[in-house]
Amino acid sequence: MGAHLARRYLWDAEAEPDPLQMPSFPAHLGLPLRQPRAMVASAEQLAQGRVPLEQRDFCGHHLLRLLRCQRDNFPVPWGCHELRHAWDSCQHRE
Amino acid sequence: MDLPLVLNISMLLTLAILSTPIILPLLSDNFKNTPTIITNTVKTAFLTSLVPMTIHVYSGAESLTSLWEWKFIMNFKIPFSLKMDFYSLTFFPIALFVSWSILQFATWYMASDPHITKFFTYLLFFLIAMLILIIANNLFVLFIGWEGVGIMSFLLISWWHGRAEANTAALQAVLYNRVGDIGLILCMAWLASATNTWEIQQFTPQSQIPTLPLLGLVLAATGKSAQFGLHPWLPAAMEGPTPVSALLHSSTMVVAGIFLLIRTHPMFSNNQTVLTLCLCLGALSTLFAATCALTQNDIKKIIAFSTSSQLGLMMVAIGLNLPQLAFLHISTHAFFKAMLFLCSGSIIHSLNGEQDIRKMGGLQKMLPTTTSCLTIGNLALMGTPFLAGFYSKDQIIECLNTSYLNTWALVLTLIATSFTAVYTIRMTLMVQTGFVRIPPLSPVNENNPAVTSPITRLALGSITAGFLITSYIPPTNTPPMTMPLSIKVSALAVTALGILLALEASKISQALILQKHGPFSAFSASMGYFNPLTHRFIPTKLLSGGQNIASHLIDLSWYKMLGPEGLANLQVMATKAITPMHSGLIKAYLGSFALSILIMLASTS
Repeated sequence: MGAHLARRYLWDAEAEPDPLQMPSFPAHLGLPLRQPRAMVASAEQLAQGRVPLEQRDFCGHHLLRLLRCQRDNFPVPWGCHELRHAWDSCQHRE
Repeated sequence: MDLPLVLNISMLLTLAILSTPIILPLLSDNFKNTPTIITNTVKTAFLTSLVPMTIHVYSGAESLTSLWEWKFIMNFKIPFSLKMDFYSLTFFPIALFVSWSILQFATWYMASDPHITKFFTYLLFFLIAMLILIIANNLFVLFIGWEGVGIMSFLLISWWHGRAEANTAALQAVLYNRVGDIGLILCMAWLASATNTWEIQQFTPQSQIPTLPLLGLVLAATGKSAQFGLHPWLPAAMEGPTPVSALLHSSTMVVAGIFLLIRTHPMFSNNQTVLTLCLCLGALSTLFAATCALTQNDIKKIIAFSTSSQLGLMMVAIGLNLPQLAFLHISTHAFFKAMLFLCSGSIIHSLNGEQDIRKMGGLQKMLPTTTSCLTIGNLALMGTPFLAGFYSKDQIIECLNTSYLNTWALVLTLIATSFTAVYTIRMTLMVQTGFVRIPPLSPVNENNPAVTSPITRLALGSITAGFLITSYIPPTNTPPMTMPLSIKVSALAVTALGILLALEASKISQALILQKHGPFSAFSASMGYFNPLTHRFIPTKLLSGGQNIASHLIDLSWYKMLGPEGLANLQVMATKAITPMHSGLIKAYLGSFALSILIMLASTS
């Protein structure tokens, strides 16, 4: 009944790999075109915003904007839907 | 304006306001406590606690206050420190709101009780102990609150102490909680010896925390939150008055165990054994409690088993490494479960003490407000979309569905969700609809605003709390966002299945055919045979073992067989062996002496 189980039964290993035999990519896959991942928000900004440690990831800039928007629209909870969506889709892509 | 200062002061002010009705009578002779004073005190405390919660939601300010330090020994100091973080700042207003509503209801429910002020004072003590537990920053202060809620639970369950079942129920509560306390003390002992502190800040996920203290924590939560194994006290605790059931055994005390696991979560977030244990224990508890609730006939017991089932669901959330979801479920569950208990209390009082749902029916026309709020509470409990229960319960089930973990736990939880729908609909059908089975001349009324306003207030909370909390607090863990449609609606689907099943089953009962009671219904009705098995077997073994040790081992063995009597027996044995060696014939001995002397004289002369 889990999603992973359903996918395992219906499709092949490309859609849902066996967790005990996860594919390991070669270390230099696509190396010339790969750039190091850069954080958009700096560490000082995250620390100043007092973002919890688990959420200081590569989507932190969206979260900072979202927190600022929530603080600005305070008693009204429905002002920040686009920023929330941006953060959610960044997390999803992560 | 210095926000942390305002935060600290307002939280301490809340606690101070709550302790006013206890301290003022000691200080002055003219001050007499009344239930209304205590209710208004809690209302004021609730309004005061909204201030720090708003500050926290607005600015994310948290604070840690250390009030006094008990310099225990040279290198182990126990500060009396209070932690005002998201959990405590959010739970304070929720607990105070629910308590205010319950106390207002209790002014009507316990109005005929001669010791009503003492009742309210006990509830206030309980509330203060619970809030100390919530706001504690180290395990010592938490333990103070823990024991406090245990003792007040005992005193309140046995409120009508002339009734023997109430006394046994209170004893059950205390004993089962004590077994859980062993686990908590074990963990505290290990922490004190290994990390030299009891502060929550020091709970870092180290790889070398042995599993035993963490198992102790799980045992403590099992005892306090009535997970399977230490659960019988919760249905038995329904012997107490309904406000007690509503406050202690639905919203606040039974979540203390889960809250402990939430607070100490960093310690076992790496330990897969403990997480799996929590997951499986929670799944088993939720299914077992839901099964037992299917055939109960006492309305309070149905709601008690429902509480036990939801606590299992919170434990499942902890086992999924999602303490924030568990806390969200605690918060939303408090609203609708307290409201369900208050509605049932209103129904019970209106029917002059009748608690059996087989003797209730057709109350929708007679008690419209109460039954509407009962329906809202039941819908929220089942996880109806966009009511309070949906935001927490559905998210837990989604996360369980999409995590690569125990499929067995998943199956159990889904079955339990459908059973939740079944017993809820059964209760609704038998209590509210159908033919009227109540005796005539019952004092059915809900004209008193002390009844209707708490219930409607909590109904408002049940509807909006989930939405409010999730819209103001961004989630700490990324929720699973993609899943096949079937997984997304699986919770709804099993709930709908449960509703259909309940409607079918109610048609069977209306057909007036004598039902064959199979083994499954017997299992459910006798609560899994757990109570007689454990309550008779374990004390018998312990007491007979104790009797064996006291009389056979100590009295007979040490004092008799290995002591004086044993020595005496050895002596007697030796004597018996030697005594027959002589025959006692003195004349024969003298004759032989004389003969041998004569022979010697004759041979030498």
